[in-house]
Amino acid sequence: MSDDKLFEDGVIERIAGELRDAERPSAGFDARVMASVRGIARARQREHRERRRLWNRVSQPRTITVRPWSVGLAAAALLLCASLAGWGAHAFARMESAAPAAASGGSQRVQFVLVAPNAKKVAVAGDFNGWDAQHPAYQAVHRGGGVWSVTARVPVGHHRYSFVVDDSLWVADPTAPRVVDDDFGTTNSAIVVEPEIR
Amino acid sequence: MDGSSDAAVVARVVHGDVEAFGELVARYRDRYFRYAMHMLGNREDAEEALQDAFTRAYRSLSRCDDPERFGAWLFRILVNRCRTSGARRGRRLKTFVSDDMALMDASEEHPAERRAWREEIDRALARLRPEQREAFVLKYVEDLGYDEMSVVTGVGVSALKMRVMRACDRLREMLSEVHSV
Repeated sequence: MSDDKLFEDGVIERIAGELRDAERPSAGFDARVMASVRGIARARQREHRERRRLWNRVSQPRTITVRPWSVGLAAAALLLCASLAGWGAHAFARMESAAPAAASGGSQRVQFVLVAPNAKKVAVAGDFNGWDAQHPAYQAVHRGGGVWSVTARVPVGHHRYSFVVDDSLWVADPTAPRVVDDDFGTTNSAIVVEPEIR
Repeated sequence: MDGSSDAAVVARVVHGDVEAFGELVARYRDRYFRYAMHMLGNREDAEEALQDAFTRAYRSLSRCDDPERFGAWLFRILVNRCRTSGARRGRRLKTFVSDDMALMDASEEHPAERRAWREEIDRALARLRPEQREAFVLKYVEDLGYDEMSVVTGVGVSALKMRVMRACDRLREMLSEVHSV
């Protein structure tokens, strides 16, 4: 007898109908799964920190900080290099160098720039906006010539971020320090936003 | 839950937003819990298997080749998890199955109500061989085509058709005995 005939004979249809009724796990199920997932994430972060500590012991320690004048110059130089070399895409972030707005609530205005001639949309996602690539304050605007930029407030402190191109391609900033810091060994960019020096 | 695609949510998780994984849990937990329930026969084992499938998926998320089809990938993990769990449970419940058969005989003496009918279906399902139960549930409850079933189970289409056929024969035989359907 074929499958269809088995189904048509009514018995199998009745059985399948009963079994298709909704079943739901108990109320605390989501919380248990997420507790387990967070535990895995914390363990991985600890492992990464330990690996980095070991690496720092055997390599030359170097502190990288972002200062308005130096990052501004580096960004301009890199943009020029990229234009001359015809790179497909590169990016950088800098704190506002020209008359920076006064820090408010412990944050600074940071300009993120990506050169991506073929992009249709560019956004910035990082721990400062909940990794939300749809966040309206972090949508880059096309300035012409394939240059995309957005200036947004970022809280003072250490942050990780990435560019998101066309809602799907996550691009680390090649001009910023990189950190293999998430749970999956992928690379994000790092930025240190310092309080305004008065 | 927002309307982001699975691929967008997976990307957020992979780039550090651990909490976004909760959106994937909310999307798939009910449907896949039903599958685990049918395969394992009780809530406790089903929840354990599903929770384990979610945490395995999280651990391996960077190896999900097609994040747009995260659901199908997660389902393959769950199917495998249910096989492992079912095998352990099968060894543990050998005695229970024979008691169950006695219960089934006893139920013939009572009028069938809907709940009793459902219980009989669950018992009959539990008495199928695991590979037949898996094939039947994927085909008739999860409504997968044979090609999809083949991808999920790693078993050839002709073998799956045979399993479904035998499962149907066994179910009709067991439930006809009990219920005169």
